[in-house]
Amino acid sequence: MKNSEPENLGAHSRRTFFKSLGTVAATAATAQVQSVAAELEKINTEKIVGPNAVPVTLRVNGEKLQLLLEPRVTLLDALRNYSSLTGAKEGCDRATCGACTVLLGDTPIYSCQKLAIESQGIEITTVEGLAKNEKLSKVQQAFLDKDALQCGYCTPGFVMSVTALLKKNPRPNADDVKHACAGNTCRCGTHPRILQAALRAAGVETASKTEVVDYV
Amino acid sequence: MSNWPAETKYIGHSTARIDAPAKLTGKARYASDIQAEGWLYGMILRSKWPAAKILSVNLDKARQIPGVKAAVVARDGSFTIRFYGEEIAAVAGTSKQVCLDALRAIEVQAEVRHEFVVNENEARKENAAQVWAGSPNVPATPHVRENGSVDTAFPECAAVIKGFYTTAVQIHHPMETHGNTVSWTDDGVTAWASTQGVSSVRDGLAGALQLDHSQVRVITEYMGGGFGSKLGAGVEGALAAKLSKAAKAPVRLMLTRFDQSLAVGNRPSSFQKIKMGATADGMLHAFEMENYGTAGIGAGGDSGGGSGSADIPAPYIYKVPNTRVKQSAVAVNAGASRAFRAPGNPPASFGMESAMDDLAVKLGMDPLELRLKNDPSPIRQREYKLGAEKFGWKEKYQKPGSSSGVVKTGIGCAGAAWPAGGASRNTQGEAQINPDGSIEFRLGVQDIGTGTKTVIAVVAAEMLGLKPEQITVRVGDTRFPPGPGSGGSTTCGSVSATVFDVCTNALQQLQTQSGLADARGENWFAACKKLGVNPLVVHGKWQPGLTADHACGVQFAEVEVDTETGLVTVKKILGVHDCGLIVNQVTLESQINGGIIMGMGYALYEERVMDDLSGVVLNPNFETYKLPGIADVPDIEIVLINMPERGVIGIGEPATVPTAGAIANAVANAIGVRVCSLPITPAKILAALGKVPPATA
Amino acid sequence: MNAFTYATAHSPASARQLVADKGAYLAGGNDLLGLLKEYLVSADILVNIKSLPGLDKIERGEKFWTIGSLVTVAQIEDHAEIKETFPGLHEAASEVASQQIRNVATVGGNLAQHSRCWYFRHRDTQCLKKDGDLCYALNGENRYHSLFTGNTCISPVVSSLATIFASLDATAIVLRDGQETRQNMAELYQRAWENPLAHNSLKNGDLILRVEIPTTRSRSAYLQVSDRHAFDWALVSCAAAADVVDGKLKSPRVALGSISPVPHQVETANRFLDGKVLDNATATQAADMILKDAKPLEHNAYKVPLAHALIRRTLLKLKGDA
Repeated sequence: MKNSEPENLGAHSRRTFFKSLGTVAATAATAQVQSVAAELEKINTEKIVGPNAVPVTLRVNGEKLQLLLEPRVTLLDALRNYSSLTGAKEGCDRATCGACTVLLGDTPIYSCQKLAIESQGIEITTVEGLAKNEKLSKVQQAFLDKDALQCGYCTPGFVMSVTALLKKNPRPNADDVKHACAGNTCRCGTHPRILQAALRAAGVETASKTEVVDYV
Repeated sequence: MSNWPAETKYIGHSTARIDAPAKLTGKARYASDIQAEGWLYGMILRSKWPAAKILSVNLDKARQIPGVKAAVVARDGSFTIRFYGEEIAAVAGTSKQVCLDALRAIEVQAEVRHEFVVNENEARKENAAQVWAGSPNVPATPHVRENGSVDTAFPECAAVIKGFYTTAVQIHHPMETHGNTVSWTDDGVTAWASTQGVSSVRDGLAGALQLDHSQVRVITEYMGGGFGSKLGAGVEGALAAKLSKAAKAPVRLMLTRFDQSLAVGNRPSSFQKIKMGATADGMLHAFEMENYGTAGIGAGGDSGGGSGSADIPAPYIYKVPNTRVKQSAVAVNAGASRAFRAPGNPPASFGMESAMDDLAVKLGMDPLELRLKNDPSPIRQREYKLGAEKFGWKEKYQKPGSSSGVVKTGIGCAGAAWPAGGASRNTQGEAQINPDGSIEFRLGVQDIGTGTKTVIAVVAAEMLGLKPEQITVRVGDTRFPPGPGSGGSTTCGSVSATVFDVCTNALQQLQTQSGLADARGENWFAACKKLGVNPLVVHGKWQPGLTADHACGVQFAEVEVDTETGLVTVKKILGVHDCGLIVNQVTLESQINGGIIMGMGYALYEERVMDDLSGVVLNPNFETYKLPGIADVPDIEIVLINMPERGVIGIGEPATVPTAGAIANAVANAIGVRVCSLPITPAKILAALGKVPPATA
Repeated sequence: MNAFTYATAHSPASARQLVADKGAYLAGGNDLLGLLKEYLVSADILVNIKSLPGLDKIERGEKFWTIGSLVTVAQIEDHAEIKETFPGLHEAASEVASQQIRNVATVGGNLAQHSRCWYFRHRDTQCLKKDGDLCYALNGENRYHSLFTGNTCISPVVSSLATIFASLDATAIVLRDGQETRQNMAELYQRAWENPLAHNSLKNGDLILRVEIPTTRSRSAYLQVSDRHAFDWALVSCAAAADVVDGKLKSPRVALGSISPVPHQVETANRFLDGKVLDNATATQAADMILKDAKPLEHNAYKVPLAHALIRRTLLKLKGDA
């Protein structure tokens, strides 16, 4: 199979190469050479797709989402514009605000700066996937208890960041929370409450710092 | 005159935000989440020039792109562009990608003008390019206000300071950008808008589209922040409607963050030249200010505050017997200002409170003492005293610059006033009470994140003897009884007093219909059952005696300044605020936190940066337009002055007013020199400390 | 973002073949998608290289450690032995952007990222880096720009990893024309020093495979200062590494980021520090040497005292004093 390495193709354009590869693959399969088939499967994944829409299968919140997308469609746009999963928000579309944060596996990422086509084959969790049977997750409940949201537009992103943090580090301190949430922006200024909510979800209560005093 | 109940179960306590579960699970549908049947994506083409004459806009190639369903021009014929980012055309298509391609296919013929000015100081010069041809960038006569005789008063002063305090243009940047989904059918127009004012958007859209108000419906179930910039329909609203009409399909047109940075408002800059003097015992005696600032190409139809455009209230919260204030707005080729959380007040507080501390230094007085001598508000007097004790002002205060070491600590304080905060007297609401005891409140207001829905539920539960979770609240629809736009910190008062009235009327009618003396609490279901088949729909409106205005507030700041790197770390802010009757404490506290953090951004990070040469906004993004993040936020403590006898007063705006002044004063106290210009960046700290060498290249 | 085709490569050679003349490698995508969205670069194909075998590993060795180019910044930050062996690298990694970015950003992408100059990144300014005929920053808003440059462009290198790698004298192994070539950090950015169009010395189709870090320097430190406390580009960053024998520095190297198109290193300062016992006076002298030829502009002169402070602090941190 060494001969089919692309650099040995000389004058062939890579499009021609990959077109002809289909034929090679068929021939090889009939030859039933296991190792060759495996190698070919690998090379077939190198086939060029697009620029027009291609089938993309995402696994979101435990369910399969089969879409037809151009390769340039981001994961965020796939969720928001091609499915009804609008929980992840678009705040900047430039990996700077965190409203679009989702989990790839257990890892929080900006879905606005990730192509949908490269997000296949790994479990994606959005904010819609956290509450089970209408019961808020521990993090969601802590956000509710601490009023860690105002307009709520950044909230799904923060919830995902905190959820991911607690999976990685169940007993974070305040600095850990700040480090984990520095990539999320809130314009309503809810940060102190988000910090308290994250700590509460980790089992650490913070005392209220508000005092009510009568004027007279 | 109505009165709030003296003993309460919910009012004055804390009820969790009733729409929190929807917002926390992604179920809440914001304007940008609306997926109307057959919806199209919409986008706007903006000018890449700060000044140009658009000769023609050819949409043919854009329309030929597969998936493009409509393309429209922003204005017909030839027109003038006056700022970078002004709207030229818009497209609607089956996907964002289609729209992006279409925008690049639009052919614009323009006469590009190299005569433009984006800098306030340049624009004031005599030979500056004129933003509006034939009209000077600075009005020939400034706004002048004069009391007493400044010229004779200054020589009578024992101490006089002069300062030049400047603030940058701040951008609202709500997390959800401006925009809407608009559906234009034969039945009329429906707009799901991200707005602070469903009624004003309805009226604005109707006007722009030449329709009757009754033909336009605006819905805002959830929206992602506005801070004053989302009161109108906007160019984006009218363009979405035109696209929808042309495409015969609903169009979702949300601005990009780039768009948001250019064309939908900002807080004007200010350049405050202040001269102020006091008598030897520290009484303010003379005040003179010349201020200018830019509201971009104009005030954008929304006041920048004070007496209009870029004016600010001065000498702010203080009474000075001899004052002269001259102000003028400077036109530049940049996007217009809009109302921004307490318009005019944060820059006014920063300038005046900076001057107060400078004067205190000159007088050799503790700056808190100087305030207590001169602040005419008894409420703020009380707030300062309470706050100083809790903050430990006396123990912490050191003379400016006397903190030892490389990292120096300092403290500062500042005051705020907010003349509005009352209520819109035209607010109406209704409740539908069903025979099964379920009850739904409908008000044509909107919840911009302040907790309006929760406030409605809290007041209703209190009045009816129910639990807040038994109250269904629906807002954000022009089909509901009309309410005010969320501006001036008036929403809380407006809805509280209206719901009070609705409940009062409901109880009366239930009493009549059911024959039960008191339908509240445990009698509720029995009373409702007696309604028979038909639900009871009760109306109500704002009533006098339940709301007030004129909130005050003071804040104390403690900072650390690294004198080698210039980095400022805010360690603590204490906010002492009054807002009359506390309706829901937990959401009230959240608003104060938010005001403080936004004020901190104003003090340390936020600035729209314009490029003189190209005329573009250099930081139309969150990378270089810097908002405070969770790692920047200090320890915040709040003291609420409970004054139920005043009635309900809004808090959203006053909470953001004094923060920048308090932080700036704390920084000056730490390092012994003042950074007079916001935002206070490491670069400016190092410059103030005299550590920056001259440019050589 | 213009339309493009897409493929996943399984070997460096096929990746190179697929990317051809007008394609781009896609790994973390932070920089690439940002550039594509603003139409600052165009690519007719995006070649996903994240499946290239063996490039996602951190391997420790006696004489040097090898970090694959697909290792993420988060992996570096979370790696306990890196924290112990190269604390400066751990610190630099933890200062990179935000958690979400560190989780996908790769070593290769961090090194190869393009300028963050706001004129370069602006869709409507035609600056030198975009083949325009003037540097807008030179007489414009240059607060974030360089104190040193070898050409007419004043946009600085912003890669935190490049700064710490330079101090550790690390080498990038780059696949070029089918051959593995070795470039130290000075070489990796030399072309940006010389040529306003360049962001680094990489040529079209070059693929960073791994970085080798010699273990000769047992101590390393990294500090940066930004306008904000987190998720912000460094105004200035500083890295230092050395071995310490009998209290004396051995083979010390200091490098600074965000003040030059290359990680800024001054050999005379490194030589001066060699064999010295660190104290504040020595650190100050080194800082003077490193910044001696700085050419501050109208708005970035504050970087001189800032860099001076960071050099001193980083060196003292190396000693364990700060």
